[in-house]
Amino acid sequence: FPPTFQAVPRNPIVIDLAYNAIDFPSLENRMKKDKKGFISRLWR
Amino acid sequence: MAPKAKEKARPAAAAPAVAIEDLFASLNRHIERSEFDQAVKISDQVLSIAPGDEDAIRCKVVALIKNDSVDKALLAIEACSNKSSIDFVFFKAYCLYRQNKLDEALETLKGQEKNSAMMLLESQILFRLGLMDASVDIYQNLQKSKIESLEINFVASLVSAGRASDVQGAMESL
Repeated sequence: FPPTFQAVPRNPIVIDLAYNAIDFPSLENRMKKDKKGFISRLWR
Repeated sequence: MAPKAKEKARPAAAAPAVAIEDLFASLNRHIERSEFDQAVKISDQVLSIAPGDEDAIRCKVVALIKNDSVDKALLAIEACSNKSSIDFVFFKAYCLYRQNKLDEALETLKGQEKNSAMMLLESQILFRLGLMDASVDIYQNLQKSKIESLEINFVASLVSAGRASDVQGAMESL
């Protein structure tokens, strides 16, 4: 005692890597270009 | 690619163009905050003013997928497939994969020129179908692509294909 550690088999892990490729398009050029970013933010 | 709605709207009237810019700003904010329900709503608002706006449709589909509403995402893709030529092959195949409609998903990807995202998806579909060797082949082709965590799925496919002895060599080559 204590018993020694033993390796046990398990199902392999698969992760959804394709999900990481799903992303929003860039909307930078679809928004108003405002130079006074801080002030205008208050009015939204 | 369809012309952006912004350009279309501007000659007609200045007001809707401004409104669209505000809507996109709001949409962008919701996306940054991961408020995907709201992002869908704003995308719909943009689409009510500018039907067929590519950015808005893409945002709507991605927001629905990220909100785990793959059924609705598929409906949105189907709805616009008659009206526009936006390429939704990857998203469509991904939604079908999530619905476990694996044969349909594979069929959607067939004959397409595949980027790494489509290859990852195809490999995951093949894995679920139990076609382990085919799944392994794709990961082997992606080895040089520096995809994060690729080794996890690669090893899983090798082990499930009964090729555990290849794991060490595969890890060293990554």
